[in-house]
Amino acid sequence: MGRPDLSRRQLLGGLGGLFVAGSFGFAALGTGADALASTADTRVRYWNLFSGGDGYNMIAMLDAFRAAHPDIAVKDSTLQWGNPFYTKLAMAAAGDRAPDLGVMHMGRVTGFAPGRLLDAWDVGLLAKYGVRREDFNPVLWQRGVIDGRLYALPLDIHVQLCFYRKDVLKKAGLLGDDARMVTVTSTDEWFDVLKEARKATRKGLQTLGLHANDQNFQWWFFVAFYTQLGGTWFDDARTEVTFDTDKATRVLEFLRRHVTHGYAVAGAADAEQFINGAPFTWEGNWSVPVFSGAKLDYGAVPLPPVFGREATHAESHTFVLPHQPDRGGATNEAAHRLAAHVVTHARQWAAGGHIPAHTPTLSTPAYKKLYPQNEYVSAMNHQATEPKVWFAGSTGILAQRVGPVVVSATMGSAKPDAAARRMKSELTTLLAMKNPMDGRTAAQGGAVA
Amino acid sequence: MTTSAETVVVPARTKTAAVSAPVRHKQGFQHGGWFVAPFLALFTLFVIWPLLRGVYLSLTDANITGAGESFIGLDNYREALKDPLMWDALGHSAYFTLLVVPCITVLALLLAMLAHHIERGKWLWRLCFFAPFLLPSTVAGNLWQWLFNPGTGMINHVFGGDTPWLTDTSYAMLAIVVETLWWTVGFSFLLYLAALQSIPGHLYEAAKLDGANAWHRMVHITLPMLRNITGLVVALQILASLQVFDQAVVMMDFGPGPENATRTFVQYTLEEGFTSYRVGYASAISIIFFVIIAAVALARMWLLRNREEAAR
Repeated sequence: MGRPDLSRRQLLGGLGGLFVAGSFGFAALGTGADALASTADTRVRYWNLFSGGDGYNMIAMLDAFRAAHPDIAVKDSTLQWGNPFYTKLAMAAAGDRAPDLGVMHMGRVTGFAPGRLLDAWDVGLLAKYGVRREDFNPVLWQRGVIDGRLYALPLDIHVQLCFYRKDVLKKAGLLGDDARMVTVTSTDEWFDVLKEARKATRKGLQTLGLHANDQNFQWWFFVAFYTQLGGTWFDDARTEVTFDTDKATRVLEFLRRHVTHGYAVAGAADAEQFINGAPFTWEGNWSVPVFSGAKLDYGAVPLPPVFGREATHAESHTFVLPHQPDRGGATNEAAHRLAAHVVTHARQWAAGGHIPAHTPTLSTPAYKKLYPQNEYVSAMNHQATEPKVWFAGSTGILAQRVGPVVVSATMGSAKPDAAARRMKSELTTLLAMKNPMDGRTAAQGGAVA
Repeated sequence: MTTSAETVVVPARTKTAAVSAPVRHKQGFQHGGWFVAPFLALFTLFVIWPLLRGVYLSLTDANITGAGESFIGLDNYREALKDPLMWDALGHSAYFTLLVVPCITVLALLLAMLAHHIERGKWLWRLCFFAPFLLPSTVAGNLWQWLFNPGTGMINHVFGGDTPWLTDTSYAMLAIVVETLWWTVGFSFLLYLAALQSIPGHLYEAAKLDGANAWHRMVHITLPMLRNITGLVVALQILASLQVFDQAVVMMDFGPGPENATRTFVQYTLEEGFTSYRVGYASAISIIFFVIIAAVALARMWLLRNREEAAR
């Protein structure tokens, strides 16, 4: 009652003091903990975007590396996937606070200012640690090469797959003697398969989970089938759009037909319906642990070659060296060593469904035994990818601009031929647009193979 | 007891006020300055400086790294005025505002009247109407995404049919409006409830004695007494609705909705700045948006002042 002012001041002063002391305490604790945690000479800071099952696998692989190399301390940070990750990585590299090692999607590397935000790999150093160009699919390796230098070291490819339930397909007579799904080589054959599968499907479930209203998935499927038709995007000089609206229309009509014929329900929970008994779903290979965990009797093949030629959408996780002004020395060498280790020991990574980029891993008996991975490993040889331009790549500007157009055709709010023309006009706009990183359009140079 | 306490307190207060008034005034001025200083410092640091920096960036071709930016004058603004995606996004934010503001105002008033007049379980009604407002936008957005799901959602189940709520251009924005009404009406409801409770009961008693029925009492007492709070609710809702972002992106899985139908202005700004890395351009369109919002706020103030002057 008696001394309100005094006690308030004391209280505030005390709280302030505690706060300041606490901050110092935490700061000290932070450095102390770091220092205590490692006695290693070299410390590699590594940023990745792997959460969920991928994150679990990556941590296991890092632990294996730590056990094998006690002299290198790996400080890994997992950041939010997608644009937040790329924003942070770009700003860290621009602000001279870049980690020693990072992960990126291959498609985004071209637009990520190689040479300014990214440093090139020392191929000799990689070779010293067992990573050689000839151990990779040449097309995949070449995608990481810009202006003659390697900027992205591929860890895997991840692809869109056609998952099928063996129990349902067996009932529908669509399972071959080898317990694998019957082969499909045309759109008519595919819709016949769906028709038969529907008869064997429990009521209330869709036949094919198609992610009909998801702009990313629809765009990925478009890329796959457009590539099956031999479609192209730009000429070599990147001054002209060579996008073929007739071929695009055929693809869009094909995707649309699933919805109009009632095989796919827009907005349905695709993977969940598959687990509950839907015969098919088109999903990324990262769903393998989910479906295997649910103990389903299922298989997975690349997207059906309905236009007569194998091609399925593929992106690739790659290791990159975010730009550091003084890159070099033991830390840089350790970053090379870590990346090489993970890439060459990707058997663990393959358990998450991804196809290891390192081809010797693919030919090991351990990998060959993995199912359904061994059923779709051929996807490595017929990757359908976005064009190699600065605005392409996972969740990039191209996907963001064109994805919704594909969805509008699939969902029926735009006619396929009109949507194809809109896609072409978006591509024309993007081709003329300046890369914000270096102020040049695709035609004016920028990153080239 | 009471008397002696009063006799002690009252002279003491009077004395303090009388003796130290001039001193206090001087001290108050100094102290006031110090008290405001932290706010001013933070306001300058986090509002004024970013605003000025934003204006500068809007005149450059800055990218997200901040490196290699050059001054390009009004080019970004010229581009923005010709950018159909920007106009679409602005249209979507305006359309959302036009749908939400009248609905939320009427709904909040009706709910407040209901909660004000109900006697039994008053707290339960208040809690029910206000509780959704406490949810994070991601929770509310996901909840309604499930409810609107065409295959398994409760809305199609209850009302029948298989309306593609979130995937058709004609329904997508409506779905977001419905979610927003449910999620945010609690705030305006609370303002109205407080205002209703502050209307003096004797006005109603007098009106009753004069023979006014319930309708007359509402039209001639309640609504006029609520005029100021209605103005506040409408103004706050307009400003909040123009800046719609989180519920739209959550319900559309972080995409722009069917055929970009729900891409709002804030979302487009974010995409330009953080996906396309065009910080200069994103700054230019945010300045345009800032001007629009400021114009709306000023127009409202001007209308209000005119009305008050007319009333005098």
